[in-house]
Amino acid sequence: MTVEQHSRPSEEEVLLAFSVEPKHDRKTLEQYLREYPEHAEALAACSIELMVDATRGGATAVTSEDAIDRAWQRFQSVVSLPDDVPVVNPFATLNPIAFKSLAKKLNINNLLLIRLRDRAIDATTIPQRFVQGIATELGATADTLMAYLRGSPAMVSGHSFRSTTKPAVTEQISFEKAVETSQLTQAQQDALKALQD
Amino acid sequence: MPEPLKRKKRDGTPYERPPEIEDWLKKLEAVEGAERIRQFATLSKKSVGHVPSEVLVYFLRRAWADAKQGDFEKIFRIVMKRIEQSLCSVISDSRMVGAKDIREEIMDRFAERIAKDCKGRAGLLDFYEIRFNQAFAAFRTSALRQIGPSVVDTVPLGTDEEDGLEISAEVEVAAAAFLSGDPSKLDDPAFRLELTAAIDSLPDDQKQVIGLLLQGFQIDSKDKDVMTIARILRCDERTVRNRRDRACKALKVILQKENAQ
Repeated sequence: MTVEQHSRPSEEEVLLAFSVEPKHDRKTLEQYLREYPEHAEALAACSIELMVDATRGGATAVTSEDAIDRAWQRFQSVVSLPDDVPVVNPFATLNPIAFKSLAKKLNINNLLLIRLRDRAIDATTIPQRFVQGIATELGATADTLMAYLRGSPAMVSGHSFRSTTKPAVTEQISFEKAVETSQLTQAQQDALKALQD
Repeated sequence: MPEPLKRKKRDGTPYERPPEIEDWLKKLEAVEGAERIRQFATLSKKSVGHVPSEVLVYFLRRAWADAKQGDFEKIFRIVMKRIEQSLCSVISDSRMVGAKDIREEIMDRFAERIAKDCKGRAGLLDFYEIRFNQAFAAFRTSALRQIGPSVVDTVPLGTDEEDGLEISAEVEVAAAAFLSGDPSKLDDPAFRLELTAAIDSLPDDQKQVIGLLLQGFQIDSKDKDVMTIARILRCDERTVRNRRDRACKALKVILQKENAQ
């Protein structure tokens, strides 16, 4: 996308680039699907929205000043934030009790939450609704949390042991794999897998 | 001269606005600020003098760059009004549970994007100067995937639990005939418009399958290099067929009703 960006573009960026293509035919969609397989479902949904959008009417809608005032306030609050806010770890402020309590609220166990915190899970495979749920509990926005989760996996810290090999960052695993291997109950696993649809 | 866009395409070339938008910009740059804003206020697309939203985004960004706070707020509110109007038709109260909250959340998120753009980050608003409605449809799609209800509350068919059930052979045949039996019918613009509007009322999972079929994708293939619907939606080909069959059944009912009116 832009020259200054090195990481993979977000779903929103990919969909925006697709939306301004001169044609949204099968060929264009296929090109995007091959280039951004991680956003396949979003691209398919977007292509269909673009197809049906043209048939929608809606000149009769009554707009409300309240919603526009609210959007203006949101604009003002975001624009007044300091520039270049670095990617923050939204889990950093949690003490061990708050950490356990968060896991309980999300109906997961500590192991899965630790894997999320340590970015041991590939962010592109985490269901958006789950990210939104964690963000709400953390009092952060989904964007902030996603920006953090997209970072490189952390070196496992806080463990004290001797090893003959140099500690290294482990490879990220998919959300599905993490759910299956985090010692969750079957009900918890089912609930998390249901979020993937 | 209007400022060129900063964002670059995948091949490294810069994005450009369509010529008709450039013409609008040149024309309106010669107009005095207050008069320009008066022209922006024409809401209905059908009205004479309706200024395209792409042009509004350009002048919104310019007002910020020129520190014209008053003009900026006025244009911001007009853009938001247009957005709210478009959202009301897509996310109507009769179509989705909690539609009002969803519309407001999407508007808030868009206000955030404008704020980030003002602060010089990402430059995502470039897309809205090229094809505003399409870009906003993309933004809305992405936002709805995060915050929208999982099922559009219209056709009470096609829950996930039903995906494993077999559809009768009759429906299967009817579905195939509907989608591929008479291709010339799909070339008829009036029928296609009617069909597209009917597709819009389907639950999302069925809408995706039918939309992809209409674009020419096949359900499944033994050839791993072929991009199929089952691969795109990451589900079993039987699930895709079931969704298709259910969708065809629902579409038939909708279209028959339409034609009976």
